[in-house]
Amino acid sequence: MSLAARLTWAELKLFAREPFSLIFSFAFPAIILVVLAGIFGSQPDPDFGGVSPSDFYLAGYVAVVIAAIALVALPVHVASYRERGVLRRFRASSIPGRDVIASQIAVGLITSMIGALVMIAIGVAIYEAALPESPLTAVGTFALSSVSLLALGLLVAGITRSARAAQAVGMILFFPMWLLSGAGPPPAVLTEGMRTVSEALPLTYAVRAMQDAWLGRATDVTDLVVLAAILVLSGTLSALSFRST
Amino acid sequence: MAPVVEVEHLTKHYGSITAVEDVSFEVEAGEIFGLLGPNGAGKTTTVECLEGLRSPDGGRIRVLGLDPQSNSSELGRRIGCQLQESALPDRMRVGEALNLFASVTPGGASPLELMSRWGLERKARTSFAALSGGQQQRLFVALALVNDPEVVFLDEITQGLDPAARRTAWDLIRAIRDDGTTVVLVTHYMDEAERLCDRVAVVDRGRIAAIDTPQGLIARLGGGVRVLFSTDEADLSWLDGVPNVESVARRGDSVEILGSGPVLALVAAELVARGITPPDLRVVQPSLEDVFLGMTASEQGSLG
Repeated sequence: MSLAARLTWAELKLFAREPFSLIFSFAFPAIILVVLAGIFGSQPDPDFGGVSPSDFYLAGYVAVVIAAIALVALPVHVASYRERGVLRRFRASSIPGRDVIASQIAVGLITSMIGALVMIAIGVAIYEAALPESPLTAVGTFALSSVSLLALGLLVAGITRSARAAQAVGMILFFPMWLLSGAGPPPAVLTEGMRTVSEALPLTYAVRAMQDAWLGRATDVTDLVVLAAILVLSGTLSALSFRST
Repeated sequence: MAPVVEVEHLTKHYGSITAVEDVSFEVEAGEIFGLLGPNGAGKTTTVECLEGLRSPDGGRIRVLGLDPQSNSSELGRRIGCQLQESALPDRMRVGEALNLFASVTPGGASPLELMSRWGLERKARTSFAALSGGQQQRLFVALALVNDPEVVFLDEITQGLDPAARRTAWDLIRAIRDDGTTVVLVTHYMDEAERLCDRVAVVDRGRIAAIDTPQGLIARLGGGVRVLFSTDEADLSWLDGVPNVESVARRGDSVEILGSGPVLALVAAELVARGITPPDLRVVQPSLEDVFLGMTASEQGSLG
């Protein structure tokens, strides 16, 4: 087993022992999904482009759970490791930073997948929401959205000095993205200004690409290109900004 | 045999603050070398430059013949570091931590042996956050030794330990050295440096004030030996003629003699010869603390 894989395994065991740190990441999207799908129901609705709102939201919340993990849980976790001297301890024991980063991305991917399964279980069990029309596209979109948002989260972890700062920055990024990405109020009711802001938020592209794959619409290549660009840019910046102290 | 550590004219600034200035010293194989000084003197900055955790602004460093900046990965496999401020994830268990860190450099020490040697064998399944301060320190030392290093850097290893735990830690540090590992010990405790170190560099405000054996420093800079006793004998003027006596002070029955070298034996012999046998005859040897306070007393605020 490689060092990065051993670190990943160690991290997963730590999460299993103290799952509370993931409660926000799982519970917040789950609660909002239950509420919104409950309000708007499962009848095809013109405000949702003629699809079932519960399907629309399930696809959206599979993306939102990634953002909750990538933009809040991961930056707080990594920043607290730096603040408490865990990263220094790793570095002084010749554990390379790239293995630490790789393990954090792997843990983020695995917990995002668990989160996505939780959303699907809720959507299907409570509202009989549909599974993806294009499962392979959905999996690919999920993977690209995850690494892209995780890279953005690592950048947040890289530029904040403490866990509290990481939490504040993460929340400030997360909440507008959630509200305006298309997974909050139906896009049809957003004002023109809100829609413009929404186009500037990374999560919007993940939500839209995920909904396309889920609802059987053609994937908009622009969404994937934007996600890939976020990945490259945040990945580069976070690799440059990653510090042990 | 080449020195294990060579430092020449090391300089390190943080912004406009000079943390370390023109520091030079060598550490020989197999010794316990101390960096002694008050908090903020630049000791930790110096060892972190040696460990490759900080990049110096000037000077030349070789550890095991390697440059800590350009050979950090090879050096990392051959040195051990116990950091002043570091932690493990709260829920990581002692055995897991040792196994994880041991896997970085295969062929090192056995985690099981380290746990039993450092009194952690019954804590293998205890999580880091549940350990006492002393147990955490012992775990950090065990982690520093897990790659079977040639030189180990210990930074304020007994900070926050109770007196009994400190003594245990001292025995264990001697045991590390007896196994052939060179030890570089950072401390602000004078007694720790005096008891443990073969040689000590006194660091003050970023500079090396003196380097010698603890005994050498005391002999050179300790300010002499004091001999104390009480007597109702009226005439003690003969004491000035005893060899090695430098001054005599008397207050009532109490006599204090300041001298050097074997002054106690010489004074005692003369007292007995004159039929004076004070029951409270005693000697106060200068300690490293006296040396240190003497060296820094001339400039106010150095201990602040």
